[in-house]
Amino acid sequence: MSKHACELNFLSRSDGSALYSIGNTVALASVNGPGEVKKFNRLYNRAYLEVSYSPSTGQSMIGERALESVITRTVEQVILVHLHPRTAVNVTIQEMQSDGLELSTSVNAACLSLLDAGVQMKSTFAAVTCCLTPSSTILIEPTAAEMKESVAVATFVLDGQALNVLSAHQEGCLNAENFNACLKACQTAAKDVFNFYRQALEKKYHTCNEIS
Amino acid sequence: MTMKLPSNPHYVDLNHPQQQQHVLRYNPRALEINSETKMSQEVAGVEVLKVVLPGDEVLQYNPDRNKERIFIGPGLRWEDNVIRATRPGLLKKTLKRLYYVDSHQKRYIPQKREFVIGTVLKKKGDNYIIDIGASEQATISYLSFENASKKTKKEMKVGDLIFGQLLVANKDMEPELVCIDTYDRAVGMGPLPEGGLLFNVSLHVARLIVNPKNSFLLTISKMFKYTIVVGFNGRIWVKAKKQGEMVAIMNCILMLEVMTLEEANENALRVLSSFSQHNSKEATC
Repeated sequence: MSKHACELNFLSRSDGSALYSIGNTVALASVNGPGEVKKFNRLYNRAYLEVSYSPSTGQSMIGERALESVITRTVEQVILVHLHPRTAVNVTIQEMQSDGLELSTSVNAACLSLLDAGVQMKSTFAAVTCCLTPSSTILIEPTAAEMKESVAVATFVLDGQALNVLSAHQEGCLNAENFNACLKACQTAAKDVFNFYRQALEKKYHTCNEIS
Repeated sequence: MTMKLPSNPHYVDLNHPQQQQHVLRYNPRALEINSETKMSQEVAGVEVLKVVLPGDEVLQYNPDRNKERIFIGPGLRWEDNVIRATRPGLLKKTLKRLYYVDSHQKRYIPQKREFVIGTVLKKKGDNYIIDIGASEQATISYLSFENASKKTKKEMKVGDLIFGQLLVANKDMEPELVCIDTYDRAVGMGPLPEGGLLFNVSLHVARLIVNPKNSFLLTISKMFKYTIVVGFNGRIWVKAKKQGEMVAIMNCILMLEVMTLEEANENALRVLSSFSQHNSKEATC
């Protein structure tokens, strides 16, 4: 498993932000909201969620739009949108450096920035990517080179309570047996990610002031 | 006839602003298992239990089984007989069994009865539209000022600052401000005078400095005379004799964003004393 690192409150002007890295993939996420909403996006019973993803080089193309929609649908399930009707929550993700794990890094960065902003959520969430090599071994959080060699790459976004799947993304073919094996491996790895989240937030809140 | 107070020792004053939350009962056995007593430190009747993340189970309880009541405050949610956190932060418990999560935020979400600083955006009919930093603009009637009547209206320009209290604040309605209490007195509220300095801080810093047990503002007042108004929406307005003094005070308060109270106290004294020395030298030159 690759090394995870993160820095909370990386940007001073947004409501919440996080710089997150898995191995050599780095993403910066920032959250603004619940705040003012454009008239045509205004929903009478819930908050409007917008995720925008920009790559490190070049313009945002169809691949980035697909990534955005995966992240939007994941985050939508988790945040308590009905608590803030007629508002908007904006999540902006900037890819800083890429080594094949863009999806899981940006999902994790989005989660930590939402935690930093204090947006109300049902639970935390974490994404883990794994790949199946031609010799049928499962690699957790592979590098771009390892992914190129592999048969299939799968990413699972899991929630922090029961490790239920919030969304799954797969490239290549997996049979039912291998798919379940991948899921199980990702669920085990996700526990470490959630522990990492907890450490990051304990660090943030341990240094805060208590009045005696 | 005299009123008799309830003899129940668990009686809690429901009119207390902080406690108008859901009335719940809890199972004391579940509490023993779930709360970490190791980390707990008691500060002025408020017990800090632990750091929680959204979705963490705080305690289990069944409202039908237990007679004892608890209160759940901000950052907590009750679902399927389990109380879970919805925000990351420090889980705290008061002596009256109010549980809440103290979290660090920059975005203001209006709450009833809170004092806020707003800017006048425009006049609309009999109301002023005020920006208080929330997702929606607040309104204030020109009659809700001290000594205001239909004949003597309160005139304000666009861009004027106003310190008021939220009369209406809920998710389905636009917030409404007032500058008078229930006895029609201003009690310090109203338009802020010209020549002050307004700046923004995180919401927890605003809450921290208005805490009556916190001596940070008194530390600053050892050096200069100044007036300060703190809004719960994270806006702070200061006024002192000179522009430089106001900026120095602002920098001292902004230290609290990144430092502990002791560090900030120490640094504030150092910065302010060197500042006043520098100024007195200039005066003699």
